[in-house]
Amino acid sequence: MRLLKALTLAILCLGAAIPATAQERSGPLRIEITEGVIEPLPIAVPTFIAENPAAQEYADAIARVIAADLTGTGLFREIPRDAFISRITSFDSTIQYSDWKAINAQAVVTGAVSAAGDGRITVKFRLFDVFADAQLGDGLQFGGSAGSWRRMAHKVADAVYSRITGEGGYFDSRVVFVAESGPKDARLKRLGVMDYDGANVQYLTDSSSIVLAPRFSPTGDRVLYTSYETGSPRVFVLDVGTVQRRALDLPAETMTFAPRFGPDGQTVVFSLTEGGNSDLYATNVNGGGIQRLTSTPSIETAPGFSPDGSRIVFESDRSGTQQLYVMPAAGGEPTRISFGQGRYGTPVWSPRGDLIAFTKQNEGRFHIGVMRVDGSEERLLTASFLDEGPTWAPNGRVIMFTRGTQGAGGEPALYSVDISGRNLRRVQTEGPASDPAWSPLLQ
Amino acid sequence: MTPNTGTYVSGIGHGILILWALIGGFFLRANDPLPLQSTEVSLMSSEEFAALSLPDASPDVPTEALEVVAPEPEEAAPEIAPTVEAAPEVLEPAPALEPEPEPEPAPAIDVPDDAPILPDPPSEQASTAEPTIPEAEAQPEQAPRVAPIPAPAPEPDAEISETVTPEVVPDAEPEPEVEVVVEEAPATAPQEATTEIVTEAEKPSAPTESVRPKSRPKPQTRVAETPPPETPIVPADAVADAVASALAETTFAAAPAPAPAAPTGPPLTGGEKDALRVAVQQCWNVGSLSTDALQTTVVVSVNMSRDARPETGSIRMLSFEGGSEASAGQAYEAARRAIIRCGANGYDLPAEKFAQWQTIEMTFNPEKMRIK
Repeated sequence: MRLLKALTLAILCLGAAIPATAQERSGPLRIEITEGVIEPLPIAVPTFIAENPAAQEYADAIARVIAADLTGTGLFREIPRDAFISRITSFDSTIQYSDWKAINAQAVVTGAVSAAGDGRITVKFRLFDVFADAQLGDGLQFGGSAGSWRRMAHKVADAVYSRITGEGGYFDSRVVFVAESGPKDARLKRLGVMDYDGANVQYLTDSSSIVLAPRFSPTGDRVLYTSYETGSPRVFVLDVGTVQRRALDLPAETMTFAPRFGPDGQTVVFSLTEGGNSDLYATNVNGGGIQRLTSTPSIETAPGFSPDGSRIVFESDRSGTQQLYVMPAAGGEPTRISFGQGRYGTPVWSPRGDLIAFTKQNEGRFHIGVMRVDGSEERLLTASFLDEGPTWAPNGRVIMFTRGTQGAGGEPALYSVDISGRNLRRVQTEGPASDPAWSPLLQ
Repeated sequence: MTPNTGTYVSGIGHGILILWALIGGFFLRANDPLPLQSTEVSLMSSEEFAALSLPDASPDVPTEALEVVAPEPEEAAPEIAPTVEAAPEVLEPAPALEPEPEPEPAPAIDVPDDAPILPDPPSEQASTAEPTIPEAEAQPEQAPRVAPIPAPAPEPDAEISETVTPEVVPDAEPEPEVEVVVEEAPATAPQEATTEIVTEAEKPSAPTESVRPKSRPKPQTRVAETPPPETPIVPADAVADAVASALAETTFAAAPAPAPAAPTGPPLTGGEKDALRVAVQQCWNVGSLSTDALQTTVVVSVNMSRDARPETGSIRMLSFEGGSEASAGQAYEAARRAIIRCGANGYDLPAEKFAQWQTIEMTFNPEKMRIK
């Protein structure tokens, strides 16, 4: 009987094991995809519909600016219009998804423009996800004066970019820069401001004195810069709307330079040289005294705030070579964050707060690079004879900088690059340009 | 007459033998490592192997795209042709390739009445210098080093397609007695794409070595060019699998509509799974994903039809990890597009194993694709 019990128990155990074994074989097929492709998303931007004759001149131009914005990111590829099977005849017409799938369009932007008698125009658009057979987000419209049609195109492109990538756009923004002219040994410099893509240039100063390192305020309505109009470098603030400028209330016997706004739009951090020694100071843009942030015999310069205003990144040669440091905004013990080969300078905190862009000089080459705020994961994005002065796009995805060319005829120009290191592009300017600073998104 | 102990033992022993014959296969199958090897041999033909060996068919060949990614900055690379500006608008009302059975109703215009009104741009400043306004259509000049895929249009002799399709041309001299109408079709080829991000700084200014071909994605079962042997290698549980497969087919033939609750029949081989994985990742484009979305892993479920096409309406996100809901949404959309695009013509899945791949859970893990 004992043997019988043992055999019965074994059979019961076997019976219990059978469902478990079968369970392992049940359920859906599971696979893991770990390697995709990196290619621009094919997008179609048909000519916008002109809803009245007065809007005719803007309909195609707006669509072209939108397409140029999107393809300029390197993340999108515009499908040539002559490949279209369907044509958009009305803003309210249904798009034939199969027609757009046939030409591999993955997104389609349709829109319409109407012009009122008072000189105002209205731009509206829709975005369609072709392979989802659905509209992506709601339709949206923008209104403004006819003269601001490029801004409305940029706003549509920002919305399309944001809906597809999940990141904020940066097209409706401006860049202040130093426009240069004349021979290399007697260069004339003046401040200019332009759309992010180089259009709509306006000059803010004349070329009577050297100007350097303009920096936008967080609201984009003012610019800090360094000018030699008094004979020595001094920090000025300029109102972009009125082009009125004034020197900050700083000690006259000192040299002040490398200013940058804090996120509150009031605090200004800058370098001050007195007795041959440069240290970092802070002040209010409207006056009220200065606060010393560093006190060392070394050279401290190029300060910049973190987005939350709690910390300052700057460059210093206190270790014997030019390196990057981070310290509390009110001053205090700095922490060195750069330890690679070569010299580091001009650090700028990303608007997202996660990266710091910098200029690096190593083995006779200049690089634009990014690193984590603790100095880890350093990546060099560019390399050339002279790359320097990075500035972040409002969404923290793109960096603009100055690239200089070698030789007596060498001239500086503005370039942009994605933080992945792809999509290096030259920004078109009328002439030589340097020291770009990106504005926040316009309101 | 009462049976003695010998009768009990004999009866129990026979009972165990019968049970073992009925259910013993489960244990053998659970521990037997052979099925993967044997099934691959039976399914991999020489043509398929040759197709897998074709360099153009490899989906993981970034070399050409990398050439585009990082041309030398000093080179006077040709600028991208301004196709945007120059392309003539030819909007011919060509007939749709596939007439829409049910045209989508026009989406309701949801244009808010209180749409944001743009303020006027900063007025033309009376700068001390002469304000110079450039042409309204000034566009950024293309840098010597350009976007990864700058080509605005496909090759003139090849249309974009997810699969490689050889060019088909009508026979010059068709057989007179056989009226075969061969529709002329252009050659198609998948678009070039890269799977790596190489920055300008990492790429030397001049080529220092020739391009090294990349290894194939996964080791495939190598099948000799010679015909398979008359008697294939049969694993221990192949008979049981074959019986289960035959039973499954019989069930489908009798009642094609209902689906089994749990997959039955032989599982997909490693090679078959790899083929599906490679097919999907060809269309998984992470180039337009945000950095946050590139931190997000999503698990997506899809039901398949018998012709191995994904049922679009069944695609849904089961879970995500590593990002916000917004970034998961972006990652899911990219995954969804990949499944639909590359499955438009049906995936290469064995029809006899439909029960195994009727529902698929795909985990899209972008860890290797992140910006580093």
